[in-house]
Amino acid sequence: MSPSQTVTIDSVPFPGQPRRKLDAAALWWLSDTAGAVLFAGCLALLLGDWAAQGRPPAIMPALLAGIVLSGMLRAGAQGLAGLAGQREAIGIKRELRTRLVAALLPTGLVRGRLTGEDMRVAIDDVEAYEGLIARFNPLKFAAVASPLTIALIVAFASWVCALIMIVTLVPFGVGMAFAGLAGKAEAERQLLALSRLSGLFVDRVATLPVVLGFGAEDRVTRQIGAAAHEVAARTMQVLRVAFLSSAVLEFFAALSVALVAVYCGFSLLGLLPFPAPETLTLGRAFFALALAPEFYLGMRRMAAAYHDKQQGEAAEGSIAGALQQAEGHRAAAPMAAAGSVSRLAVSRLEVIYAGDNRVGPFSAEWQGPGLHALTGPTGAGKSSLLHALIGMTPALAGTLTLDGGAADPAALAALVGWAGQRPLLLPGTLRENLVLGSPGGAVDLLPLLEACGLSSLIGERGLDLAIDPRGSGLSGGERRRIGLVRAIASGRPILLLDEPTADLDSATADRVIDLIAQVSRDRLVIAATHDAGLAGRSASVVTLS
Amino acid sequence: MIAQMLQDASRRQRSATGVAILLAVLAAIAGVGLLAVSGWFLTGAAIAGAAGVAAARGFNYLLPSAGIRAFAIIRTLGRYGERLFSHRAAFFALADVRPALFGKLAGAEPAAVFSRPSGEVAAQLGSDVDALEDAVVRRVTLPGALAGAGTGLAACLLAGPWAAAALLAGLAAMRLASRGVVPGLLAAQVRRRADAMTRLKSSYAEYAACSAEIAVYGLIPQIVEAMGMDIEELEASRLAIVRLEALTQGGQLVLAAVTVACVLALASGTAPLAAAAALAGASAAEAWSGLVRTDVGRPRVDDALRRLGGMAALPPRAPHHGGIERLAREPLRFESEARACVVEAGGRVLIGGPSGKGKTRLLGTVMGLRTDAPQRVTVGGMDVRELGLETLRQLFAQAPQDASLIAGTVADNLRLARQGVTESEMWAALETACLAETVRQLPDGLDQWLGGDGARLSGGQRKRLSLARALLAGRPWIVLDEPSEGLDSATEQQLASNLAGWLDRTGTGLILVSHREGLHHLAGKVFEL
Repeated sequence: MSPSQTVTIDSVPFPGQPRRKLDAAALWWLSDTAGAVLFAGCLALLLGDWAAQGRPPAIMPALLAGIVLSGMLRAGAQGLAGLAGQREAIGIKRELRTRLVAALLPTGLVRGRLTGEDMRVAIDDVEAYEGLIARFNPLKFAAVASPLTIALIVAFASWVCALIMIVTLVPFGVGMAFAGLAGKAEAERQLLALSRLSGLFVDRVATLPVVLGFGAEDRVTRQIGAAAHEVAARTMQVLRVAFLSSAVLEFFAALSVALVAVYCGFSLLGLLPFPAPETLTLGRAFFALALAPEFYLGMRRMAAAYHDKQQGEAAEGSIAGALQQAEGHRAAAPMAAAGSVSRLAVSRLEVIYAGDNRVGPFSAEWQGPGLHALTGPTGAGKSSLLHALIGMTPALAGTLTLDGGAADPAALAALVGWAGQRPLLLPGTLRENLVLGSPGGAVDLLPLLEACGLSSLIGERGLDLAIDPRGSGLSGGERRRIGLVRAIASGRPILLLDEPTADLDSATADRVIDLIAQVSRDRLVIAATHDAGLAGRSASVVTLS
Repeated sequence: MIAQMLQDASRRQRSATGVAILLAVLAAIAGVGLLAVSGWFLTGAAIAGAAGVAAARGFNYLLPSAGIRAFAIIRTLGRYGERLFSHRAAFFALADVRPALFGKLAGAEPAAVFSRPSGEVAAQLGSDVDALEDAVVRRVTLPGALAGAGTGLAACLLAGPWAAAALLAGLAAMRLASRGVVPGLLAAQVRRRADAMTRLKSSYAEYAACSAEIAVYGLIPQIVEAMGMDIEELEASRLAIVRLEALTQGGQLVLAAVTVACVLALASGTAPLAAAAALAGASAAEAWSGLVRTDVGRPRVDDALRRLGGMAALPPRAPHHGGIERLAREPLRFESEARACVVEAGGRVLIGGPSGKGKTRLLGTVMGLRTDAPQRVTVGGMDVRELGLETLRQLFAQAPQDASLIAGTVADNLRLARQGVTESEMWAALETACLAETVRQLPDGLDQWLGGDGARLSGGQRKRLSLARALLAGRPWIVLDEPSEGLDSATEQQLASNLAGWLDRTGTGLILVSHREGLHHLAGKVFEL
């Protein structure tokens, strides 16, 4: 996430809000307190009677059973808290991923972002967000609620002890606030340096060929060593402050135990230096003492999950930024379906990539129905032009007209059947894959498959042949023809084909060219191609250079 | 290999680790002591108070109340120091491991290194090494837990040998429960999750490549459904991990409660000693259960170690041939099935042919970074594949097609060329590459930070910076892949004449790949693919 990115959760509606939600996980964490109270109660009764009678009391077995039960209660509550938080997080992650995939996948080319960056957001950042929902948020609720609950319960046994606990909260709060502020300032001071240094590892691995080419690996290794030491030193700077705030927490946790123990001891001895505010029995005193460490436990747990919070919030910022950027690129309102297109023209159309790298300008005019070829050496911009026609480029200059009227390329997409260099395959049957562009349309697929030489592929299982996108066993040429059949079956009036005859032997290529020529009798077909045979059958050939 | 590396690095942090262990031990003793003394003091005070004023006055409260305060302070400071020193030891040890691993990688045969995707390798140097951090920090947990257990046992002994035996048995049972079946099950789920993650990422990359089709046909619902399976698998394994961890932690809590109950049941003697034993036992069991986190984290650490082990065990590549001086004077010969072309030292050749014919692959082979070009290239009769990277990189300096700038300043990039490049040499090279004016106008000039992959320069400017770097290397041959791409023709002419002058002055040989005819006159010979 770049430091300039100030998009927050509030600017993009986001699952997981509102943050301070009272969910099952938070309640389970709170109910962990019940186990602690049961343990303290049993121990206090047992020792109180033991001290009073000078021997173990008769109800000892029941009290010991209570202690064992308290362990079970706590185990159950903590385990269920973890599971409930995880389930909550899974729901939110599922919702987030669905939304990210929907927003990011179709707009990757438009936003000019690398696939790797989008993938990091949709997969890694969503994973990193988990800890905030599953652990930190419920613990944050419990960190506030459980000390108050404990103090309230202790007040029934000894209000002075409850007061001692509450009073230690005040200097604790002040200490935490100072440590927190210092920690934040320190973390911010180191953040840029840290992200630059950690980026160094990624970068030097990515540029390893050139490092090796110049024989610079010894110098770079030394540089990485120095950088790694600097990262370690700076991280320690940040951690020193973070540990200091845990030390503040520890100190007050220990202090509240010590104060409760000393007050109760002197009170029981009758040696308090002031008039006794309450009559204390050993049972009550012991109950308060056993609960004293629990008073700060919720906050200690939350502090331990602090890393989840930091990681989650960084991920949250980057997810919100990506969503905002991608959802701003929602497709233009699609054009009303037209039966046929008679003229498509571009004039001084330029594709503008990041850093003002321009491809073009292109000017061309295509009459429909008919077949038109787009040729030129690799890198001349054939694919760029095809993508520009459906608005799948970062920015465009120039004009596009459809049947004489100016048109928005993004809106044109609804009229286009597309067959790219590497067509999409989804898990499912061959039929399902072929009709992806024509939901509900009853197209006779078999003649089309036959016409482009795919009948051998379908064999015995026919159109129910199962397709597995991973290790599909399909050759590049077969995959291309599936894309072509899909585009034809879509029934759309404009077909854009990127190298439809590449990866094919010449006999098959001829059949495919025949099919394309036949389809172009009633549609406008534009094919980017190196194939002289296909260009030869075309009504016009635009050569890019 | 990796174990040795980690051990060497840890040894250098001995003193910090030692201090961390000492403080962990003190904190654990103080933690258990605090509760034990508090329990004893409270119960004793109650009995003395009940026995009357004289008994109360005779009760020695000074020592225990001082002890409570001292333990509270020692516990706090001990825990703070333990965290500080154990993390310091871990971070600095791992800061030694990272460059050591990078060195292994950079010193291996290029084919072995570049067969792995660079993102994966970077992730290993980053997150896998990070995963070891936990293992190193946790080295101090065991001494701490042992000290806590020892203190607990001592306190229980005061309440009789049976109470101590009960605690000992309870602690042993806790270890057995944690080390039993769960780690194996956990390791399986960790692997299942890693597999699901890999599959999800490869599906994402696959679908992202088809974004035009997805947009045109509106296929998002189908894509979401197709990715759903891997996402569910990922979440299911995560939930299973959480469940197993909850089971392990829960088992510890139940066993700790049973242990305290047994200690109380078997305690003999007075109530104050029983109170001390019970609280000490509970506190010792809590400290002891901290060991579970090591068990639970182990599958991840083992996984990281296994992956890093592969990197650490890469064998070093062959050393360079002797006689670089002689090879520098030998002719270069390109040979394909159809034709051959000989270029004398200091000569200039254009590699021609349409795209997709493997020009870049041929250049990579000449540089020794790959070996898969079908053509044969020899220097003084020796095949470049036999000469190897170590020799070839002293003969050839390359400005690759993708520029390959490193994240750093302009000067950092230029200094990569060789050791001891001076500032005036840098400016001279930038002048030749037609980039000096641009660099002068950057806010920080030569010290301008270029960000990841030189983000502040345009494509053409990046290529010329890469060219300037190759000029600085001072090798007998310079290898340029499309150096003028993205240039207007006036600048291209200027670049061509600068390059011609520089080649004449230095007597450097040129291997050129360029689609642009403006540079073709630089080369005296053409080798067509």
